[in-house]
Amino acid sequence: MDILGTIIHGLNLAAIYGLMAIGISILWSSVGMINMAHGATFAVSGYAAWIVAGAAKPLIAAAFGKTLMAKLAMAGVTVGAGTLAGALFGAIIYLLAFLPIHDKPNFAVRSLIVTLAINLATVQILLWFFGPRQRGLPKLFGFGKFEILGVPIRYDQAGAILSTAIILGLVLFWLRVSRKGLEIRAMMQNPEGAVLSGISVRWTALPVTMLTGALAGLAAILLSQTIFVSPTAGALPLIKGLTIALLGGLGSVPGAVAGAVVIGFLEATVGALPFLGQRYVLFAQFLFIITVLIIRPRGLGGLLDETRE
Amino acid sequence: MAQDKKYYPIGQRPHELLFYPPGDEPLRRRRLPGTRRHLFKWRSRANPKTLQQERRLADKRPLWWAIGLGALVIATPFLSNSMITIAAIFCMFAAINVLWTLVIGTAGIFSLATLAIVGIGGYAAAALNVWLGLPWPLMFVAGGLAGLLIGGFLALPSTRLDGLYYALLTMGFAEICRVFVVQLKALGPTNGSINNVGSFIPKDWFLQRPGLLLGFGGAFLLLLLSLLIFRIVNSERLGMLLQTAREEEAYAEAVGIDYRRARMYVFLITSGSLGVIGAFYAMFYMSISPSIFSLDQLLLLFAMIVIGGLGRSEGAVIGTAVVVLIDKGMLELGPLRILLIAAIMLVVTLFANNGLVGIREQFRNYRNRKKSEARARRTEKGGEVMPEEAIEFTDKQEIYYRRFQKRLRDHLKTLITDELIEEHRKSPLGKHSDALNRVLNYFRRGEMADKYAIMRQPDGFHRYKIVAFSGERGAPPRLVDDRIYEDINEAYHAVFLLRVNDLLES
Repeated sequence: MDILGTIIHGLNLAAIYGLMAIGISILWSSVGMINMAHGATFAVSGYAAWIVAGAAKPLIAAAFGKTLMAKLAMAGVTVGAGTLAGALFGAIIYLLAFLPIHDKPNFAVRSLIVTLAINLATVQILLWFFGPRQRGLPKLFGFGKFEILGVPIRYDQAGAILSTAIILGLVLFWLRVSRKGLEIRAMMQNPEGAVLSGISVRWTALPVTMLTGALAGLAAILLSQTIFVSPTAGALPLIKGLTIALLGGLGSVPGAVAGAVVIGFLEATVGALPFLGQRYVLFAQFLFIITVLIIRPRGLGGLLDETRE
Repeated sequence: MAQDKKYYPIGQRPHELLFYPPGDEPLRRRRLPGTRRHLFKWRSRANPKTLQQERRLADKRPLWWAIGLGALVIATPFLSNSMITIAAIFCMFAAINVLWTLVIGTAGIFSLATLAIVGIGGYAAAALNVWLGLPWPLMFVAGGLAGLLIGGFLALPSTRLDGLYYALLTMGFAEICRVFVVQLKALGPTNGSINNVGSFIPKDWFLQRPGLLLGFGGAFLLLLLSLLIFRIVNSERLGMLLQTAREEEAYAEAVGIDYRRARMYVFLITSGSLGVIGAFYAMFYMSISPSIFSLDQLLLLFAMIVIGGLGRSEGAVIGTAVVVLIDKGMLELGPLRILLIAAIMLVVTLFANNGLVGIREQFRNYRNRKKSEARARRTEKGGEVMPEEAIEFTDKQEIYYRRFQKRLRDHLKTLITDELIEEHRKSPLGKHSDALNRVLNYFRRGEMADKYAIMRQPDGFHRYKIVAFSGERGAPPRLVDDRIYEDINEAYHAVFLLRVNDLLES
């Protein structure tokens, strides 16, 4: 077994799952909504990126030819389209699942059901328009590998790990320094207190849903370097993201990061072990999470008292 | 005389179904054998107008249940083969959903392992039948025992984890079951499914009309049994205990209700029953496949109870009917079916507080709110008693007194003109015109509370202030304003103006 290769693979998975899990976690802690349509956001962004990349390919080829510039432009267009589509889909979720019912009784359960319905409908619409065929996105980071300390790293792995780290750092920095970030953090700490000090729930929830949607879109682009885009591609990342968010303790961003790293490495290790293999990955993950939840009922980073009521 | 009187149908009462038993006979109420329960909730009352004895069915739900289920039983034998299958599937899923409602609604455990338990019960029963030759009647026992076992295993963390965490855990459990079954070496050749399971439907009847009818009959029986279990658990002791716990856990614990144990019992009872349904499922299809553990199937079932309304057995059954009809009855629509189901789910959740069965109550609340708003708008006028308020007064004289006062005030308001006020200013005492006399007489008859008076100040002979009586013996009058009048006529006129002002404002 190649230990270092497994570590790199684990980091790669952790980066992508972390993007999903942190989106779910932030949304839950600031708005109080479990977003089951996160998987739909994932699939929609993948398709949007695929369409835009297909449309832009001849244009870019005409403008730059086969230079490095063309590659950069292609990457920029793909990532931009995916992220933008994710943010827009987040806004749709905001309009359907948050705005009409956020002040009505039973909001947590009802928004969960609405987002579930959005997920079901979106997957069906995608199946209808694009069919079940899988589509490949252009390779952002190109093919090939390089070596660090004798460990071969594929370009897409390195790209995913680095860009996730940069984007997450930027998001957390923005949450820390900006006015809107302050409002979002206030909502995460104490929603009622935030409202009492004049923070609008509606105008804070919109950027949160768009931000988490954009994160899901980014995760879709990065994961599509390894797997393909298909209507049901969002289901597995959704389940993984949700379980990681729960494992980390819903609402805790450091917990979600820790959970993503643990699950990513677990997946890489189980997949690499000769007697277990890829088929037992989900099995092992769920067993691990169940064990952790039985020992720590509110996850790794969750507080033991009621964090959000 | 009284018999000749004609009554006009007003309000909701004429639409009420009433029975008139002979008033001189004692009331006989039959109890269900072996229990202290009555089948129907009859309420008797003597009508004060007609002096007749009336009986009213206070809870009509048993009637609706009987009509709905009876129509299903009577109509099904005349349907086509595919529709009979749909009816049977509806009954089976409705039974599962009723039990699931018991877990989510009554026990308050957000479990998603329902289908997993059904699947395990089915697999256990099917495996015992195929490989050990267990006869089919014992398959129910085997399925129930397997369900009970798994239920006991799953119930352990249910008291420790809450809400979403438990939902996730049970969802993971279903996934583990699916992977486990698919990976089993023995089931490898059939892709994880067990085929040729023995059944209560004879082999040569399978997929024939008599076989389908038999299957429907069994599924219907299953639905009735699960409704019975729902009724026994939900509205008897366990359900009452858990209702207290749902409202306030700490309080329930403080008065000595062990709600954790009650939840555990409910979970175990439903798990055992779900295992039995699983055995039935395997017999009904004569096979069982890992698709029962899949997430899509679970989501479809969840859509059913959400559309119907969480926590009520009617909701579970109605939601199942809607979704099964769309999913299995409109096969020609293709993928649009799921879209339709999602749209219904979306609309129901956005607009209804608790699914389809909650709409009636929600509409009534809405209508009552609008009614009381309109009433508040109407009753602002003049302090008169509105007809719908009149029932709140025992002394009906009060109603006429207030009506008279209102009309008097309305009339007096028309008399007050600038000339009248000028006339009073010129001579507050003495002979007045007819109109001014009427107004002054009304003022004199006013109630003592808040009646104005003129008080001479102790520091001078012609120094007056205006006060208002408290209307209570011993409580001093209050000062109306600080102004000092040097002339008694001026003070008289000031009091008059105050009263006119009050009259016009009333």
